Amino acid sequence: MDYSILLGQAVLNGLVIGAMYMLMAVGFTLVFGIMRVVNFAHGEFYMLGAFAGFFTYVYWEIPFVVCLLIAALTIGVLGMLVERTLIQPFRSDEMSGMIATLAISVIIQNGAVLLWGPQPRAMPDIVTGTLAIGPFSFPWSRLVVIAAAALIFTAFWLFMQRTRLGRAMRAVAQDTETALIQGIRVNYIYPLAFGMSVALAALAGALMGPVFSVSPFVGLTPMLKAFVVVILGGLGSVPGAVVGGLLLGMIESFTATIFGSLVSDILQLLLVILILLVRPAGLLGQREA
Amino acid sequence: MEGSSTATLGRDEPRLAPRRRWLSGAALAVALVAALVLPQLTTNQFYIHLANLMLLNSIFAVSLGLIASVGQISLGHAAFVAAGAYVSALAALSFKLPPILGIVLAGLVTGLAAVLLGKILLRLRGVYFVLVTFLAGQVFTLIVLNWESVTHGANGLLGIPAISIFGLPLSTRLRFYYFALAAFIFVVTFVWALMRSQYGRAFRSIAENVRLAESSGIDVSHYQIVAFALGSGIAGAAGAAMVHYIRFLSPDSFTFNDSIAYITMLVVGGRHTMIGGVLGALFLTPLPELLRGFVGAQHIIYGVILLCVLLFIPNGLVSIGRSFFNKGSETGTSK
Repeated sequence: MDYSILLGQAVLNGLVIGAMYMLMAVGFTLVFGIMRVVNFAHGEFYMLGAFAGFFTYVYWEIPFVVCLLIAALTIGVLGMLVERTLIQPFRSDEMSGMIATLAISVIIQNGAVLLWGPQPRAMPDIVTGTLAIGPFSFPWSRLVVIAAAALIFTAFWLFMQRTRLGRAMRAVAQDTETALIQGIRVNYIYPLAFGMSVALAALAGALMGPVFSVSPFVGLTPMLKAFVVVILGGLGSVPGAVVGGLLLGMIESFTATIFGSLVSDILQLLLVILILLVRPAGLLGQREA
Repeated sequence: MEGSSTATLGRDEPRLAPRRRWLSGAALAVALVAALVLPQLTTNQFYIHLANLMLLNSIFAVSLGLIASVGQISLGHAAFVAAGAYVSALAALSFKLPPILGIVLAGLVTGLAAVLLGKILLRLRGVYFVLVTFLAGQVFTLIVLNWESVTHGANGLLGIPAISIFGLPLSTRLRFYYFALAAFIFVVTFVWALMRSQYGRAFRSIAENVRLAESSGIDVSHYQIVAFALGSGIAGAAGAAMVHYIRFLSPDSFTFNDSIAYITMLVVGGRHTMIGGVLGALFLTPLPELLRGFVGAQHIIYGVILLCVLLFIPNGLVSIGRSFFNKGSETGTSK
């Protein structure tokens, strides 16, 4: 066995799952930062995105980019409706809001089982062939995921930094009351932020559809990992989610290559506990006031 | 067992007027007599089985309520139930430990595990605690699935013995019912007494305002660990009792869905009162049987009920009963 090829494989896999964890964690942490809501249904929106990508790509046979757009838009709008009707009533009560998202996740997941059945469906690759650099060969289908995730995150980052709406969102995250005094309409910001957050999850789901399979249960693992990432990076911190996501992807890929995936999962939890012992608010997180 | 005790976890209740106290005492006595006699009148094994599940679920929900009474919510509660079940089942299968001792052992082991875990986790406030209990629960399932030499992995453990007391095996549903009823009464009385003690007062003040409690000289982390350990220990022991009743155990026996079910019971019944968990379990356990026509829709209906209760009756079914109770009485307590 050639170690350098194994190494290249591990790096690539780490980047692919790291990119997916990053998209998941960024959305998750955004909603927490702005709304103080822990969204336990985040993984179910990932699953819905995967199904949206699957159905549009396989049945309509349209370009994958359009499928991604459709997934992001439909799930994003659904997210806004969910926020408006089911999460807004719990604005002042963190615990009830969290339990409400648990209920939403149960409803979405079992609704999907009812509609589409529990069996996993394989999705064809969107591109074929491999890229050969020296001794390494990388399948394009994986490289596309990494590039798309990077592009999506860049668009998100530019939106947050450069547009009025993005600035308003950051203001609400920093201090809701002061933002309100400045004339920012929090009642519009909240659904919008939630919609964006779940749209990111849906994009991650649609992107990963061809890599893994698509079933009503695919949302659990990415959500679990998003939790680990935000604990590593600090709840509410977007840079923390990016660094944490990529870091976790790498750690997972390498430990899984060396020790197997079970040990890898256990090591990740131990890492989380270790970090929490040293820095209870995450690696890059600030202590909550 | 549907006693209308008014012990509260979350809020201080003004002392009951003598008349109401007498009434609730009478209601409790009637409920107890009914709980003792009713199962003798039915020959339908299924009803007795349902009653057993109601009693066990009540214990799970009440033990979760104990953890919630210090303002924390555990998403890994089913993992403690499962851990207790595995401890007792394995002890019985490998070392021929009598199940009744296995239940005690399960409670001790899970309680101790909760102390160790709590020492780490309870440094975390609110959300972080919830997230890590969720992760810990998932990792527990993974370990059980993969540690095949001990747990037999996904195949599960078969031939787990029934509890036997003084040589009498509780192998029928009816015999187990009386054991479960006794366990239920023991747990409820214990939690009720605990909530009236100095511990209960400390728990309530921590749930109300952590900072204020801390600055009033209450050792917050000590009380949180006590609540977490007692709640998890009770759950572990009850899980052990359940496994000697069902007599089969696999990693699918108690999963994250069960953790959510316990939370649903607690919230639907009323999460600020001990009796809320009991009410929730009594209401939700038989529900899937009434909904048999809707195969696959059970979980959805659980989720919808949970959402509706959160939205429209945030203090749970207990609050409906209480406002009804208080209408006619002169004490007119608020909430």
